Amino acid sequence: MAGVDPDTNVRFDQVNDEILRTLGPPPRSFWVIIGFLLIGVMLWPIPWGYQIATGMGSAGYRPSVMWILYIVNFVYWIAIGHSGTFISAILYLFRARFRTPISRATEAMTIFSVFIAAMFPFVHLGRVWIFYWILPYPNHRTIWPDFQSPLIFDLLAVSTYFTVSLVFWYSGLVPDIAAIRDRVRGLKRKIYGYFSLGWSGTDRQWHHYSMSILLMAGLATPLVISVHSVVSWDFALAIIPGYHSTIFPPYFVAGAIHQGIAMVLVLLVPLRKIFRVKNIITDRTLDLLAQTDLLFALVISYTYLTEHFMAEYSGNIFERQQFMFRMVGWYSPEYWIMTILNAIVPLVFFIRRCRYSPFWLMTVGVAVLIGMYLERFIIIIGSMSQDFLPYQWGFYWPGWLESCITFGSFCLFFLLFALFAKFLPSISIAEVKEALKPMRGKKEPTL
Amino acid sequence: MTAEEYGVRGESPDQRRLLAIYSYVDDVVGVIKTLRRKKIRIDGVFSPTRSREMQDALGKGWSNVAFFTLLGGLTGGVGLISLAVYAHLSFHLITWGKPIIPPVPWVIVCFEGTILFSVLFSFVAWVFLGRLPAPHLPAGYDEIFSGHKFGIMVPYSDGERQEIYRILADGQADEIRDVSASDPRKAVLVAENSRAGS
Repeated sequence: MAGVDPDTNVRFDQVNDEILRTLGPPPRSFWVIIGFLLIGVMLWPIPWGYQIATGMGSAGYRPSVMWILYIVNFVYWIAIGHSGTFISAILYLFRARFRTPISRATEAMTIFSVFIAAMFPFVHLGRVWIFYWILPYPNHRTIWPDFQSPLIFDLLAVSTYFTVSLVFWYSGLVPDIAAIRDRVRGLKRKIYGYFSLGWSGTDRQWHHYSMSILLMAGLATPLVISVHSVVSWDFALAIIPGYHSTIFPPYFVAGAIHQGIAMVLVLLVPLRKIFRVKNIITDRTLDLLAQTDLLFALVISYTYLTEHFMAEYSGNIFERQQFMFRMVGWYSPEYWIMTILNAIVPLVFFIRRCRYSPFWLMTVGVAVLIGMYLERFIIIIGSMSQDFLPYQWGFYWPGWLESCITFGSFCLFFLLFALFAKFLPSISIAEVKEALKPMRGKKEPTL
Repeated sequence: MTAEEYGVRGESPDQRRLLAIYSYVDDVVGVIKTLRRKKIRIDGVFSPTRSREMQDALGKGWSNVAFFTLLGGLTGGVGLISLAVYAHLSFHLITWGKPIIPPVPWVIVCFEGTILFSVLFSFVAWVFLGRLPAPHLPAGYDEIFSGHKFGIMVPYSDGERQEIYRILADGQADEIRDVSASDPRKAVLVAENSRAGS
């Protein structure tokens, strides 16, 4: 049975202790890391303030590249969130039990990454203080947002995705927060008690809660498909060569899950070592994650080939030159590195030993994260830098300002995740207990 | 846990109940079935995790959360489409030949509204139907119920106590406590005596 490792022995009555042990007082090194991450986060607002004061030119905007690293980051962080919902919702509906110990952490990952992604359109705005013009509300200009625009689709899709992910995550947390409430005292008890809503685990509560979680999972499932499809339409509904393609929605969704699972590996491999929860997040869990990643690596490889084939087969000279430009043009080193990291490196997961090796899991995870970043760079910036007419071609390379903001976003993500792992259960207590069934025959249930 | 922390939620103050504590789901399910067969009312069951068998034994049907979720979906879908129609009809700038009421792109708008409001309604529904947020924990609640034990709370009148006690004990209860909603302190004291006795 998936998720059950016969070498481990977590009893039903040990689950709380095993998981809540991770919330104990952190070592000093934890606060040192938090301090460094906080310093890193400050690299976001300071350059952004400089950009607002001096104008968008300071960030390297130049015709024809008017969507720069910020849009790359937006797409990248949205994609990171996808595997969270994929694991917590889709695999839940498919009753894939290996998801149980990792669903909470991936849901948290989703929320933090979508939050960060949602910040980047603001950074991208020249006059950020009038961002509210995109919202549909009666105004003295009598101008409304165009509901046919993919940018409005994006606004609706991302805000819906964030809200749904947050509600789904919090709903799952309530019984676990109640478990923490019952084991702490003083101010902590009040805080956790407040967020547990007074949960007492009665049959009435579980009855309505279970139905709601099932429905939310069902509703979140199409979101996984739709959100990145909508993000892909930001590009696919434009006529720029390299953007205008019907393959984009499935291509983006598969890439997002590929990248998201890579981030899950990068987060969970050290997490289970630091928190000593190898008996809950088992080797078999990581093995199945690696297999899932391998599947999506193959899907991505196929879409890379299909893109090139369709560009050639279409007979459209602009499409042909764009895809030739990717292979031999200004950004060709990034293109080839991307191809190797996304399509070739994950193939090591065909070897069973690599799927059980923390070194290889981390290596492939980091490789795919870099590769997928380069993929967005190639698609967004590469396509813009050489579109139709040579007179408007332009080269863009990230400067210090965009690089600092990008670095700050990574620091913010890891900061939020570290704080989450320390103050909330990063493994779902109630779901792990549920997975320990059968609790029958007076045998000690084990995971 | 102190007696004050238990709190009492609006049950009848004179209501006396037995709380049986179990370690295994199948024991709980067996006792629930016996109690229901004998038409004895069950006040509530505490559980550290959700259990399909337990819900089935209690005869729980379709939760009304589903209805509220559907209502939310309809509200969100229709609401956002209405907003889009209103916005387009209110747009006073003359633009080129796009259709004024374009149904195809609004599928996305409708979809997002449906999902968003379904989930929000679903959340609000399970919270309120579960009688949350609750300022106090119910009488008889023990922190072991968020740990690894299950509890069945059964109300009784004077003549019934012995029979109910026997059913609960026959179901392999780890412990049986007297719980009085009118006096949580007494409930705790009784519980402590019961522990000592066992």
